[in-house]
Amino acid sequence: MILSSIKTGLAQVWKSKRMVLIFFLANLSFALVLMLPFRAAVSNFAGETLMGTKLAGHLPIDFIFELMKNNKSLFSIYGTLFMLVPASYWLLSLFLSGGAFATFARGDGYSSPAFWAGAATYFGRFNRLFLWSLPVFAVLLCLQFLETGFQRLIFGSDPYEYVKYWGGWVKYGLRVISFVLCAMVYDYARIHVVTTGETRMRVSLWHGIRTVFGNLGRTFALAFGLFLCGALVLAIYNPIADSLAAPNAFVVLTLFVLQQAYMLFRMLLRLTLYSSQLFLSNKLAGAPAPLEISTDPQGLEGAAA
Amino acid sequence: MILPKTRWLFLTIMIFAVARPVLAQDIPVLFPEPLSPRIANYNIDVKLDVGKKTLDGQEVLIWHNKSQDAITELQFHLYLNGFRNSESTFMQESGGRSRRNKLDEKGWGHIEVTSMKLTFGGKLTGAPRYLAPPDAPKVLDNAFDLTGDMQFIQPDNDNAEDKSVFSVPLPRPLQPGEFVAVNMDFNAKLPEPPMARTGAKEDYFFVGQWFPKVGVYTENGWNTHQFHANSEFFADYGVYNVRMTVPENYVLGATGVEVEVAENDDGTATHFYHAEDVHDFAWTTSPEFIEVTGKSQDVDIRVLMQPDHADQGERHLAATQFAVQVFQDWYGDYPFPNLTVVDPRRGAGGSGGMEYPTLVTAGTKYGLPAGIQAVEHVIIHEFGHNYWYHLLASNEFEESWMDEGINTYTDIQTNRARKTTGGDLIDFLGVQVDADQLFRTNVMFGAGRDPIMRRAWEYYSGGSYGVNSYAKPGIVLQTLHNLLGDEVMSKIMRTYVERWRFKHPKSQDFFDVVNEVSGQDMDWFIEQAWYTNATLDYSVTRVTTREVKKPKGFDYTLPVSESDSMMTRDEDEQTNIEVAAASAVPTVDEAAEPDSDDEPQETKLYFSEVRIRRLGQFQFPVEIEAVFDDGEVIREHWDGQELWQKYRYTRPAKLVSATVDPEGQVLLDVNFTNNSATVAQQKLGINKVSERWMFWMQLFLEQPDILHLLQMPRELIK
Ligand SMILES: [Zn+2]
Repeated sequence: MILSSIKTGLAQVWKSKRMVLIFFLANLSFALVLMLPFRAAVSNFAGETLMGTKLAGHLPIDFIFELMKNNKSLFSIYGTLFMLVPASYWLLSLFLSGGAFATFARGDGYSSPAFWAGAATYFGRFNRLFLWSLPVFAVLLCLQFLETGFQRLIFGSDPYEYVKYWGGWVKYGLRVISFVLCAMVYDYARIHVVTTGETRMRVSLWHGIRTVFGNLGRTFALAFGLFLCGALVLAIYNPIADSLAAPNAFVVLTLFVLQQAYMLFRMLLRLTLYSSQLFLSNKLAGAPAPLEISTDPQGLEGAAA
Repeated sequence: MILPKTRWLFLTIMIFAVARPVLAQDIPVLFPEPLSPRIANYNIDVKLDVGKKTLDGQEVLIWHNKSQDAITELQFHLYLNGFRNSESTFMQESGGRSRRNKLDEKGWGHIEVTSMKLTFGGKLTGAPRYLAPPDAPKVLDNAFDLTGDMQFIQPDNDNAEDKSVFSVPLPRPLQPGEFVAVNMDFNAKLPEPPMARTGAKEDYFFVGQWFPKVGVYTENGWNTHQFHANSEFFADYGVYNVRMTVPENYVLGATGVEVEVAENDDGTATHFYHAEDVHDFAWTTSPEFIEVTGKSQDVDIRVLMQPDHADQGERHLAATQFAVQVFQDWYGDYPFPNLTVVDPRRGAGGSGGMEYPTLVTAGTKYGLPAGIQAVEHVIIHEFGHNYWYHLLASNEFEESWMDEGINTYTDIQTNRARKTTGGDLIDFLGVQVDADQLFRTNVMFGAGRDPIMRRAWEYYSGGSYGVNSYAKPGIVLQTLHNLLGDEVMSKIMRTYVERWRFKHPKSQDFFDVVNEVSGQDMDWFIEQAWYTNATLDYSVTRVTTREVKKPKGFDYTLPVSESDSMMTRDEDEQTNIEVAAASAVPTVDEAAEPDSDDEPQETKLYFSEVRIRRLGQFQFPVEIEAVFDDGEVIREHWDGQELWQKYRYTRPAKLVSATVDPEGQVLLDVNFTNNSATVAQQKLGINKVSERWMFWMQLFLEQPDILHLLQMPRELIK
């Protein structure tokens, strides 16, 4: 069921390639905002020096510290940017996700009006849904403290370091899992909103929780599988990127292409996840897939109301 | 003259020493010819109560007056009283924290001398003899009881609550050449968890600065300082015979060599250690230690590992073996037969990274990746102290750089010698850091608040003490090394060690060796580097190049001269005038000259200018390299005295770049980036770092929880 969900999901994404591009460009443009002050500072500091030449090869550690020392304003700029940009990006992603879910629910590929209409229709509800979900997220994030409790219980207050070390990894793993679970609950709740036109967000949230935990094996395997897929490709990317250290234009360009290819892949994964989860959700509900529910005027009217 | 009672005592001492051949045979003689002036000699019997974390000790100090003065009082350190309460100078200065450690609620440490008796000895010729602890009290039966005469003193400040130093008046002046035997009973409680190099954590004990310790009598009288948050120690050499009684299942390590272990009826064992020509004595004990042994050259190595680090035992041993080998090869003999390396228990990091004679403590974490060479670095650093802190033993209270700073310099050498690929300190997940880069960064960020020369507790802050005692002198010495060359510098270091072994050198002694061995007067450097907080920063501030156009105007001929014109000025305002004057008389390089007559076709000439500024107050001679687009490289030497310097070239090639200190030899320069300037923009490098930064931003936006991976190290440090 999972593989067929992914297969159907991929097929759906393939029909909506332009959507991948929209998500990718959103990510790229926000990242550009986060990059430009850095670039300006580096360019100003080292743009006309031999250190600037060296930067094309391996990044010298001296340079990083000198940049920090001599560009203190960067810290305040990024202090602000790191608050604003990720939050705005999150809102934009949420907005776009409405379009994506609506498109997948329709099942006949990307169409610009339907995408943007979906995005606009569900944005408000998704925001309300998020607020409703916060207590659930808080509970899920407490999952990591299971490790703390068990460690205390079994090994006492003064455990050997290897207990703490492996416990630390377990805790990290639990944290990752709880993030994935939060995202899953939120995804299935959104799917419920889109497929049923539900306007009471607590109902959709409850549906999301039931879908996730009622079929935990399948829902988790799907989401975590795709998450691992992204992590694995990143793990492969890293050594390749490190090896691309030769200071010439071709290598620098290759690295750029590789990076952006990876980001495109990430967007593809995200949309595949949305689409597969929608398929799985329908399968679990016993409905045929793909459904054409988002064309149901009730959904759109509900949003307009 | 010797008082009758004293003469009796002296005779008794000699009789006991000679009439107890068993004892004399039991105690090995490490150095038949003493290596040091054995001024402060200790016999100590101490019992550890592992439950209460207390020590119950009897100490006999035999102290020789090797000065020219008649001495009227003795002064002692009671270092453990630094942890006595919130009002001690140590606690006041440290705010109750040392490195990352903080005492438990009931973890205070303290020490009391409950009895003090003293007897005078006469003048001795030859090497003095020593008493073993069980015999000493008998000898001192008729001694002066000074228990009521001890008085806490505060030589460094007016904190009457500080009880880390006391003085006791002598019943009569101690004449030059005489000695006293001082018998003290003391009780101590170790701080919990270990703090500032000493203390207890559960069943692990690291016992340092633990016994009443006599100060150093110098030409200026007693040199005794309170226990400060930012200071290490100073002491005279001597012979130590120490018997430590601990539970019999405990493994014990200590300064010196083990003479015997005697099992007692009460489930304890007494470990007898003997050390010669050392100036401190520390020990550790725990039932959990796992022993790893090995040898390096003529030194026996014993590593005491915690069970959760047992897999790093070989790593510890290999680093120790390396340290012993390079230090003996580079800086001369380590005369002691053995070395013990202690791996502190979890939760007892306060006892880590510390040096004692023939015993050092390291510090690691379970799962420490091989690419993070932190533990190797610590071990090699702490062994290095066995030269600077132990063999030379400068006054760390007053000239901390002479130990930590020289040791940081030798860290740079040892790290470079170990370097294979990547960073010599960190080579992990693509991050490569060399030790000198780390030290240089410390200097860059924090050296400006003080000169190196300060008494340890008088720096602006703990951070300033740290950087000016460790990183800055390390980088200063490496800069000096690069200036003088490998051969001269290694000769300086070797001469310094050989000349000043066991003699407590002062800063000037080191500087004298530098001047003598280098054959140069280096005071200009020493004065700036050690006695001021001057920043060193040379920068290429401007490079220009343009084609020399045919002159316009009236009656103009292009003169040709072969030398480059150079000017210096104190005032920036005069720059324009100088530039104007210079452009009226452009110059060409020798390379352009032959063409001028023979070749009919005109060679394009370019006028190029390089401007260099001294942005800091530190004046230092520098090399300058100008690179032209025909591949020609021109080297200049500037004495670096004035505020700026200009170089002008008229050559048949365009200037590409100019660099001050092109080899990166002047590590004291706080900004390497501004050391060069290029005529063209270096877009490629900027693009590269920007695209990498952007990619991480893209990832971060897409998956902000990736930041949680950064929490892993914190989890591990906790
Ligand atoms: Zn040190």
